[in-house]
Amino acid sequence: MLKSINVALAQISCKVGDREHNLNVMKRNIRQARDRDANLIVFPELALTGYTCRDLLYELAEPVPEGPSTHCLEQVAKKEDIHVIFGMPERSEKARAALYNTAVLLGPKGFIGKYRKTHLPTHSAFEEKRYFRLGYQAPVFETDVGRLGMIVCYDVFFPEITRLLRLKGSQLIVCISASPAVRREFFEVLTVARAIENTVYLAYVNLVGVEDGLQFWGGSRIVAPNGKIVSQAKHDEEDLVVGRIDYTDLEKTETFVPTLRDLRPELFSLLKEQAENL
Amino acid sequence: MRLTSDALKLDMPSVEARIKRFIQNYVKKCGANGVVLGMSGGVDSSTAAAITALALGGDAVLGIMLPEEETYSDMDTKHAQLVAKKFGFQLETVDMSPILRSCYHSLPVYDAADKLSKGNLKARTRMVCLYYYANRLNKLVCGSSDKSETMIGYFTKWGDAAADISPLMDLYKTQVRQLALHIGVPKEIATKPSTPALWPNQLAEEELGIKYETLDLILFGLEHFMATEEIAEQLNLPVKLVAGVKKRWLASEHKRRQPLTAKIGYRTVGSDFRLPYTLR
Repeated sequence: MLKSINVALAQISCKVGDREHNLNVMKRNIRQARDRDANLIVFPELALTGYTCRDLLYELAEPVPEGPSTHCLEQVAKKEDIHVIFGMPERSEKARAALYNTAVLLGPKGFIGKYRKTHLPTHSAFEEKRYFRLGYQAPVFETDVGRLGMIVCYDVFFPEITRLLRLKGSQLIVCISASPAVRREFFEVLTVARAIENTVYLAYVNLVGVEDGLQFWGGSRIVAPNGKIVSQAKHDEEDLVVGRIDYTDLEKTETFVPTLRDLRPELFSLLKEQAENL
Repeated sequence: MRLTSDALKLDMPSVEARIKRFIQNYVKKCGANGVVLGMSGGVDSSTAAAITALALGGDAVLGIMLPEEETYSDMDTKHAQLVAKKFGFQLETVDMSPILRSCYHSLPVYDAADKLSKGNLKARTRMVCLYYYANRLNKLVCGSSDKSETMIGYFTKWGDAAADISPLMDLYKTQVRQLALHIGVPKEIATKPSTPALWPNQLAEEELGIKYETLDLILFGLEHFMATEEIAEQLNLPVKLVAGVKKRWLASEHKRRQPLTAKIGYRTVGSDFRLPYTLR
């Protein structure tokens, strides 16, 4: 496993409902990232289809990893010898109406794993629970580019999921997102908070562009375990930023701010009890 | 939450940027040549025209004045011309008087004393003219409705609110005034009293019986799920007044939605057909 890696934040704008177009955009970005020595490239939430697909999700969702889009990007990842994380609507193999808002992880040897969004926003302009089923797993993947955990957008508001991924050994949490401009201040704070409180690297990749009335603000970034923003993409326009992550920094920060050592596990059962009786 | 004028203050450079991006994106996705706007010389249409011209360039914007003999105002005409000159877009005038006279003569039930029906006819005739221009020139109709008037239903159904895009519809009237000043709409226009110009000497605040500064704070409170009593207490207003605004808001939902139908099918237009706006 590499001790340091280059991560490409592929802050793209999507064409709603057009998988072919979006796949071509992703392929182009993967090649550019590889030319810039990236080991891992990350695309936003639902990058395959765009965010505001609504009822079209039923026809756009595909099984993972068996679906054609995953297969297509697997071939690109193999050819370019790179790891890829991207968002897409996933269809359950067992129930056609069971869709998931999924982050897919691919590597030079093909499909590695997936994460299904755990917290689905269904308020304000968001209607994810209308379409998606909640995810119930929080897997961590041992890869050549580090031990990776993934979360999707609104998950970052819930410290439990990132904490869980960190306790399972994640060195890098990748948060893919489709965050509109009215939420920018929240994400700017929360991405830093999740990195600091867990002494972990966090790579945040947001969509840009306008879909219906929503404007996605970009601002993708890599946050170091000490909260420092080590790479930052532009706001409100497409960008491809390659930033370096040095995993040896984790140990130094853990010693300086030993949040994991100082955890109080007995609080978790109290949290559970209170949350069940809100 | 405190209901003071500070609650309505926005980061105007950011609002300007977002509205411009919204306009650019939608016009491009639609493959249109630009937009047509009805220009009344008031703050809403002047601001909508100014920001579309800033977003698309003046060449892509056509302002259309739609005066008619009963409500004609030299001052409004001068104001529209001032904005067109400053923001570099073309202005045309369509005199609606003969069209309206023809309507009055053709409608067997026409009654000049029924001000509201006649006023709505004027607003809808403006819409017909704007859509004719839009069709002929492959442009979109850009509306200039603001959030205050839209929320309380102070507009003509399928009339002045009928448009392909309404870039100011999430800004209260007082916020439109802030935006107007921010982007350089002349102060005399940005601060002038609003009128729908449906009949002579019609002034919005007189007709509504409330200043926009107060109305906007009531609506802001309702938007944020505040109780009528709490809004009234904070603004030192009679509960009855706030309740009246709330009633207007709730009673006018039919003006803001697709026509209601009886649900019969598997998926129904206007309720559970949920598709993206911008698939082309």
